[in-house]
Amino acid sequence: MSVETEEIQKIIFLVEDNKADIRLIQEALKTSSLPHQVVTVRDGIDAMAYLRQEGEYADALRPDLILLDLNLPRKDGREVLAEIKADPKLKRIPVVVLTTSKNEDDIYNSYDLHVNCYITKSRNLTQLFQIVKGIEQFWFSTATLPSE
Amino acid sequence: MDIGLQEQNIPSVNITSLKEAPIHISNKIQPHGIILVLAEPDLKILQVSNNTLNVFGISPENTVQKRLEDLVDPYQLERIKSGLSKQNLDFINPTKIWIRQKGDDYTLFDAVFHRNSEGFLIIELEPAISQKNIPFLSFYHLAGASINRLESTKNLQEFYQIIVQEVQKVTDFDRVMLYKFDDDGHGYIIAEEKIADLETYLGLHYPESDIPKPARKLFIENSIRLIPDANFEPVEIFPVNNPVTDRPVDLTKSSLRSAANCHVEYLHNMGVGASLTISLIKDQKLWGLIACHHQTPKYVSYELRKACEFLGRVMFSEISAKEETEDYDYRMNLTYIQTLLVEYMSQEDNFIDGLVKNQPNLLDLTSAKGAAVCFGESYTLIGETPKQEDLNFLVEWLRNNVNGEVFYTDSLPSLYPDSISIKNIASGLLAIPIAQRNYVLWFRPEVIQTVNWGGDPNQAFELNQSQGNLRLSPRKSFELWKETVRLTSLPWRFVEIKAALELRKAIVNIVLRQADELAQLAHDLERSNAELKKFAYVASHDLQEPINQVANYVQLLEMRYEAELDEDAKEFINYVVEGVSLMQTLIDDVLAYSKVDTQAITFQATEVESSLERALSNLRNRISETKTIITHDSLPTVMADGTQLMQLFLNLVGNAIKFRSNEPPQIHIGAERLEYEWLFSVRDNGIGIDPQFSDRIFIIFQRLHTRDEYPGTGMGLAICKKIIECHRGRIWVESQLAQGATFYFTIPVGGRERERRNGRNTENNLFS
Repeated sequence: MSVETEEIQKIIFLVEDNKADIRLIQEALKTSSLPHQVVTVRDGIDAMAYLRQEGEYADALRPDLILLDLNLPRKDGREVLAEIKADPKLKRIPVVVLTTSKNEDDIYNSYDLHVNCYITKSRNLTQLFQIVKGIEQFWFSTATLPSE
Repeated sequence: MDIGLQEQNIPSVNITSLKEAPIHISNKIQPHGIILVLAEPDLKILQVSNNTLNVFGISPENTVQKRLEDLVDPYQLERIKSGLSKQNLDFINPTKIWIRQKGDDYTLFDAVFHRNSEGFLIIELEPAISQKNIPFLSFYHLAGASINRLESTKNLQEFYQIIVQEVQKVTDFDRVMLYKFDDDGHGYIIAEEKIADLETYLGLHYPESDIPKPARKLFIENSIRLIPDANFEPVEIFPVNNPVTDRPVDLTKSSLRSAANCHVEYLHNMGVGASLTISLIKDQKLWGLIACHHQTPKYVSYELRKACEFLGRVMFSEISAKEETEDYDYRMNLTYIQTLLVEYMSQEDNFIDGLVKNQPNLLDLTSAKGAAVCFGESYTLIGETPKQEDLNFLVEWLRNNVNGEVFYTDSLPSLYPDSISIKNIASGLLAIPIAQRNYVLWFRPEVIQTVNWGGDPNQAFELNQSQGNLRLSPRKSFELWKETVRLTSLPWRFVEIKAALELRKAIVNIVLRQADELAQLAHDLERSNAELKKFAYVASHDLQEPINQVANYVQLLEMRYEAELDEDAKEFINYVVEGVSLMQTLIDDVLAYSKVDTQAITFQATEVESSLERALSNLRNRISETKTIITHDSLPTVMADGTQLMQLFLNLVGNAIKFRSNEPPQIHIGAERLEYEWLFSVRDNGIGIDPQFSDRIFIIFQRLHTRDEYPGTGMGLAICKKIIECHRGRIWVESQLAQGATFYFTIPVGGRERERRNGRNTENNLFS
């Protein structure tokens, strides 16, 4: 990674326990032209440690976008979401819940916890790729975010 | 059979004062003996009967000045004093006493001692007939012979007969009768022994007023009563008032006590010259009497009277035992039947089956001819019972008029006149309420009986007016008066009523237990349902992830390596994709099916048309692709879950499009109001269904076509069925192959069990 690119590289923080899904999202992001870096953790505890720069994550970079799965080991995505949105330092980072769950309760709860958007993973690969691309496009090009 | 006062209601005359005469405080005695009222311990004579002059040669005025020692010699006095020092005076009764009349002229008396309620010593002297006491042994032989006869007798009626025969033999009265009181107080002759030329009284009934309550009370106090001469002239007591208490002395226990006028008159009217009455007492109640009548005056010595009383008591205790044994056997049998019924009830799912399906059954428990179990709104009948509509009225009447754990009558028509029409079945009714508004009923038919009265019971006495005083006098005629008793069944016996009450307890227990079990079952079911639902839900979710993974990676493979794959590889990948896609649909449908759940349904006023519109908008692509024409009647608003209703239309209309013929599909949704429900229909012009499959199609995963012909999981109609069942409606199809199909479904007008839902809703509101 060069210094020049680093400056404009967006950090996408992916919280997902399933390796296959991680890889799939990475594959989707590969098709994007926007410079970015994907940082991955596999459970909720690691996610919070990373975000709070604790322990081995002391030098962690602040993410520009969080892609959060809901069903996670150790600490689940709902708790992670609640903690992020309750933390003054983290609450402005856009959080996109990306999950297989179409459960209405999950949708309601997530928005109640101030999720920035809730997306159901498509079963269709092409659609999934479009979605991931769309997320990146929207949050990094369309939306204006606070600069922190 | 008058033994006391009369009582009868005569309009406009107050007879209370007449019947309440204190007959035990009589100032008079019968003339065949003398009464002495003494104060202890000096045995001073306070009062005496007015006939001493004839008997002792001393005037009553002089007698009351004296002490007992002035009448009897010192030897006798010592003996008497020693007897009086004992607690129980029966041991000295009777004592032979010689009283000097004049000079060496002595008269022998049987003296009987007792202390009255006021504490005075009463001595009654009756001229002794025999010089000696009857020795104990002869007494024993007398009773012994009679009891031996009883022991060889099995039958109660024979028992009764032996008693009167034995008493007649000993006393030599013209007529000896065994008189038994019924529950309502009237009495009848159950056995009689008499000389040949007298007319029989056997079987005759006598009204309650012949022996009214005060007289019955005296019979309990004074278990033997002799009137040796019904034409006696009563003798007064001198002085009339006791000098210590200044009122007439209590002679309740006196055997010489005079009889009430009315009673004496009654005896005259009956042609009786002498009477002896022995009380038969059981459990402190007057069970009956041994009544002895003689046409002419007849004296019975104290010893013989005592012997008769003894005989009566001994024999009566045998009767009681015998009666109890007969009762006992019946009771044991009923207990046995009751045990079986309880067992049958607990074996059946519905306890009522246990009461009627086996032998013995409900009828045997009370010896009834018919029985009905009214539970909820349904009747279970056995034997001869009234028709259901009559039962409805009867139960309504019971609900309004009867309280308590049991109700019984042997004359229902006299209480509930509407039942006259069912008298041949239900003149007798025994009913036990079970919980609220439920009953077990037993019926007995009318039994027309003839009751023979000894004289018209409606004219048991006359009211006489003489010298301005009203006076009751007994009837003069004792001629047979027949009464036909109608609208009456055989009476319910105490043991039968008791058995019914015991059964009631058992039923209440079983009903309570079954309700408990049902509640437990419902609870278990609810829990397992909830678990199943959760399982289906979780399983579907968890299944989705791996299946998505397979789908995605196969697609990725295809996408990235398209150039390198040959045709075979592409075909294989295609099959993987197809299989995965079907799997995904299946999971969706199972999830949808598991979501259709009674608990989860929210009932509200739902416009059917808006649910239909939502379904059609989901289907709009397929509708336009297939050029489907959809029409509908004007649709009502029903109590239903709008989302479920939408899903229902989605499936039914979707099917109608899917299974179209070569023609463009035409679908019509109809609605028709029936009495309690709405009938909806979805009619198409598609390929139709062979009627033999019209049930099968609603079963989960059942399909009539291969997936190549028509895609699908076989869940759609199963979901429809579940939705409709959750709404307490029905769904079915009418169709012929190639002639289109019409799916019908109903939704109740009031929604499903609104009461229960409302209950739940209230609960939810409380906590939400």
